[in-house]
Amino acid sequence: MKDIFLDLSVRSVRLNFLRSLLASIGIVIGVVAISSMGMLGANMQLSVKQQLSSDVNTIMISSDVVRTSSTAGTPQTAEGIDKSTLNDITNAAGQNDVIPIHNTRTQFTIGSTDGRGSIYGLDPNDITKFLTIAQGENIKGGSDALVGPNIANNFNMNIGSRIKIGQNNVSITRPTVRVAGILATRGFASDGVNTDNAIIVPDTWYTDHYGGKDLYDQVNVILQNIDTINQTEAAIDDKVNRKTNVVRISDASSRLSSISSTLGTITTFILAIGSISLVVAAVSIFNAFILGIIGAGMGGICSLVIGYSVVSAMIGNTAYFFLPESIMYVPYGMIIGVVVCVLSGLYPAWRASNMDPIDALRNE
Amino acid sequence: MNESPLIRLADVTKVYHLESGNFTALDHVTLDIAENEFVAIMGPSGSGKSTMMNQLGILDVPTSGTLFIDGRNVAKMTPLERTHMRRDVIGYIFQKFYLIPLLSAYENVEYPLILKYKKRDNTGKAAAVLKSVGFDEQMSSHRPNQLSGGQQQRVAIARALVNDPKILLCDEPTGNLDRKTGFQIMDILVGLHKEGKTVILVTHDPKIAEYAHRTIVLEDGRVVES
Repeated sequence: MKDIFLDLSVRSVRLNFLRSLLASIGIVIGVVAISSMGMLGANMQLSVKQQLSSDVNTIMISSDVVRTSSTAGTPQTAEGIDKSTLNDITNAAGQNDVIPIHNTRTQFTIGSTDGRGSIYGLDPNDITKFLTIAQGENIKGGSDALVGPNIANNFNMNIGSRIKIGQNNVSITRPTVRVAGILATRGFASDGVNTDNAIIVPDTWYTDHYGGKDLYDQVNVILQNIDTINQTEAAIDDKVNRKTNVVRISDASSRLSSISSTLGTITTFILAIGSISLVVAAVSIFNAFILGIIGAGMGGICSLVIGYSVVSAMIGNTAYFFLPESIMYVPYGMIIGVVVCVLSGLYPAWRASNMDPIDALRNE
Repeated sequence: MNESPLIRLADVTKVYHLESGNFTALDHVTLDIAENEFVAIMGPSGSGKSTMMNQLGILDVPTSGTLFIDGRNVAKMTPLERTHMRRDVIGYIFQKFYLIPLLSAYENVEYPLILKYKKRDNTGKAAAVLKSVGFDEQMSSHRPNQLSGGQQQRVAIARALVNDPKILLCDEPTGNLDRKTGFQIMDILVGLHKEGKTVILVTHDPKIAEYAHRTIVLEDGRVVES
């Protein structure tokens, strides 16, 4: 019993060789389409995850009131995170590192060239906890400064270069800092400290010139264990926002999961479009076959397959294509291909087996 | 006549419900066909010959009345029982042969045995039946499209015979054949009748009907001559 049906299947394939070949090509195109689209989506997710995951262990806390600040020497006029709130955060954060951050935008002059960028005031002891110094050494205090790599490159700065901080105005004598080190490139930092185009000065220097002592623009909590992020955030929220919302608490992880979720939706959407396209393409191919349009069309089919591969190769960064998260879409595509094949075989078989014998003879 | 005929139609009516209204294809037909009869069914187009054949072949059931085949009331049988009766008791021979184009002549004849016994034939029965209709081993390996019309009808007869049915239902078996080949096919059917088969033949051709021992004439769904 078993062999005659296998024989019949093989014979059917042989007798309808061109049609079977086209069906196989259709299935291969479908599997490649679904796999590539899945891999493309996974690629996007992995790429974004890698960008964000370096700072994923950081909780960012900022004042719930938007704070404004002015040029150097002008007293602080708006709210920030005060000493008492910082203490509450420190207590709630437990063993984790708490980094209070002063930050504003500033103008500066290097040599005779004016520039604009961010200036951060940090405790020198905190700097190496989350920043990497590429050249020179960390600041020790006084008027030492670190600069981001973009400023260093754009202004041809070296260790020992000097920067005048503040608006270039002949009537005011501006404070000067000395470059002690140049930071490594960070790119877009999900902990809110974007240093590539910034100057880092000691917190004492910052408050001496911008005011705001014991009043911080942002406080970051660097977790020793990423798994405690939710409970640490809850502890800080309970402690600080007990009566009213004093601070806003966010983290890269929640942003990451939000982005991952969005990308997952996009991937599913792309797969759905791919599946529909597959059906349409398959119908087109087989219609073309039936109508005899592609008599000399093997070149066209090859062009389609090769073109598809080229497009897939051109889309985005291929660095993640061979990671398990990405490559898993190949078996997914194959499974979908097998399911489509089985269903498209079962449905006509089911219809035939349930057909009225008289109708069957009439159709024949 | 046998007290219990092989086929008995008692007041059988078949009505088709069409959009244009009900159409009565068989109208209160009462008829007995005994075992080992050779019967020809004749009548003009639309007289109910095909409907009668569908009833006799258990491809359809009556709207009213009763149909007994081999002692069983067809209306009371389950679909599976009807399928098994079609397979075991009735052999069909069609005008258009209806051979499976993928299979060789031998495999076409072997197929009913496979469906019945769930295994390939190792008894030599398929080859023997083919030989009885004039097919040697070499011809048996040919596919239907490599055979003439007469050869295809011989294969179809062998296929109908392979499960040793009591009844052979032949729907215009010579309709697609030239006259000489048609008579050759009829000679085979006569031989089978002599071996004990009950042969029921639908035909338009009076010359072919002459082979039968009894002719049933239908008009407007009624038996007008029996």
